[in-house]
Amino acid sequence: MDLEVLIENVLNALAAGITIGCIYGLMCIGLGLIFGIMKIVNFAQGELLMLGMFSSLYLVTGGGILAFMGPYIGPFVGALLAGPIVFAGGCLLHKFLIARVSGLRTAGSLDEGHFGQLIVTLGISLILQNGGLILFGSSPMTVRTPLASSAIEVGPIYGDATVFLNKARMISCAIAIIVAVSLYLVLEYTRMGKALRAAADNPTAATYMGIDTDKVYRLAFGLGCGITAIAGGLMATYLSFGPFVGLDYVIIMYSGVVLGGMGSILGAFWGGLTVGFVQQCSALILPPQLQNAAIFVVFLLIVLLRPQGLFGRSAERA
Amino acid sequence: MLEVTNLSVSYGGLRALTDVTLSVKEGQFVTVVGPNGAGKTTLFKTISGIVPAASGQITFMGENLFGLHPARRAHLGIAHVPEGRQVFKTLTVLENLEMGAYPQAGQRAWHHTLDRIHTLFPILAERATQLAGTLSGGEQQMVAIGRGLACAPRLLMLDEPSMGLAPAVADTIFERVSQIHKEDGVTILLVEQRVAEALELSDHGYVLETGRMVLDGPYETLLQDDRVRKSYLGLS
Ligand SMILES: Nc1ncnc2c1ncn2[C@@H]1O[C@H](COP(=O)(O)OP(=O)(O)O)[C@@H](O)[C@H]1O
Ligand SMILES: [Mg+2]
Repeated sequence: MDLEVLIENVLNALAAGITIGCIYGLMCIGLGLIFGIMKIVNFAQGELLMLGMFSSLYLVTGGGILAFMGPYIGPFVGALLAGPIVFAGGCLLHKFLIARVSGLRTAGSLDEGHFGQLIVTLGISLILQNGGLILFGSSPMTVRTPLASSAIEVGPIYGDATVFLNKARMISCAIAIIVAVSLYLVLEYTRMGKALRAAADNPTAATYMGIDTDKVYRLAFGLGCGITAIAGGLMATYLSFGPFVGLDYVIIMYSGVVLGGMGSILGAFWGGLTVGFVQQCSALILPPQLQNAAIFVVFLLIVLLRPQGLFGRSAERA
Repeated sequence: MLEVTNLSVSYGGLRALTDVTLSVKEGQFVTVVGPNGAGKTTLFKTISGIVPAASGQITFMGENLFGLHPARRAHLGIAHVPEGRQVFKTLTVLENLEMGAYPQAGQRAWHHTLDRIHTLFPILAERATQLAGTLSGGEQQMVAIGRGLACAPRLLMLDEPSMGLAPAVADTIFERVSQIHKEDGVTILLVEQRVAEALELSDHGYVLETGRMVLDGPYETLLQDDRVRKSYLGLS
């Protein structure tokens, strides 16, 4: 009997860990592009997640233009559309602010522009949090879908032990994987994707190749913003959020990216997955307040044993 | 083809180039020599638009380069193989070459140029999927030159391609550059500290010292100049 309960708890934690982990993975890919690949320190990444959540919320609920889609499809289409909306915002942000502290303009300078980026993005983050408070209010919101409270039951597997797969999370997880894989393929195999990696690797040389690095950087920054926003929209279907929700996730994103290995999109995804997995599984033995502590214990362990991250590979000659 | 007229460049208040004039004609092999810090790299960077000019003019095929975005130069057919190679370390060798072929002309000629690059540097075919940052210095230089060739350039600018290479490897590089000039008909602008080898290949040479062009002329003339013989060739 006790064994059945244990098995049920463990299996459900594993299932939650994997589904939520995949969504975290997508969220981390956004930062992976901006921080891991473009090497731009962005402390406003959590607020982009928040903007993704609210974009989806306003698209889907009340008089939103997606309201006609209903509560089953609407929230997921809303999450996907939050991507282009925040992408556009990210491009503007880059054009007017981030470009001044990154890219060709700071290439070869002592700090590669990191100090400037730190201050600018912290400022943006504060503005977005407080602007969000004014615009959206402080009461917790969620993009309601009946799927969040229904589950696919698998089993009973052992005795009465049954795995409950939350439908909203399952769909979000599937979308997250599809978006992540598409982005990976674009970066790895298209001319644009390679130009983006080249521009991140060496902006001066990329300019010699005829690549307009400003444009490419803007696109990459926008993409990173949009990807995290899609993850935000997906998360909005199963958790409640407010203007300050980004604070909880920005640290998770940085741990995911560093854990996976800087500079690798797949790495960022696996890093995010690992973080989500550890967080959910730690719920089995730890009180909720300690879940984030568990993430950092695992984080420190992995970084101690593999400083280059799980999937980092060195491009320098040994 | 390339005309640099009375060019002056400063870094902050520091003069790096003063009144530099240089001309490269279609099909020529032109070399600029000079000691460290003379401003050779600065000259290349200004042609590529990475460093702004204080005064003067640069035209390529009659077009004023100062009005152009730096990234447009590759599309006009100027390939810059930079000092210190500057390969994309985190990209594979093949991806590096593909990035060289980023301009339209490079894409159209891609299959042909890739064959050509592999003929000149067979090792690049073997190492196609290896990250460029893990190659040896000589191999990285081959990637850098191959990458320059991949845009199907009219003018290939090479900034000290032999820097830091073992003599034998440097010889191979010089031989390939000469082949690119003779067999592919690419116009070459070369900066070198290995003065003897470089001048031997060229139609016309310039001597740059502390930001000024102090001497220029065809190879034979330079060879007879006492200063060149003493300071650069170690002859008396
Ligand atoms: N980014 C820079 N900032 C300030 N001074 C520079 C910079 N780059 C080069 N210089 C100076 O300009 C002069 C010419 O340098 P450079 O063009 O690299 O010479 P060369 O390539 O002939 O060795 C040198 O005195 C060098 O110190
Ligand atoms: Mg130099």
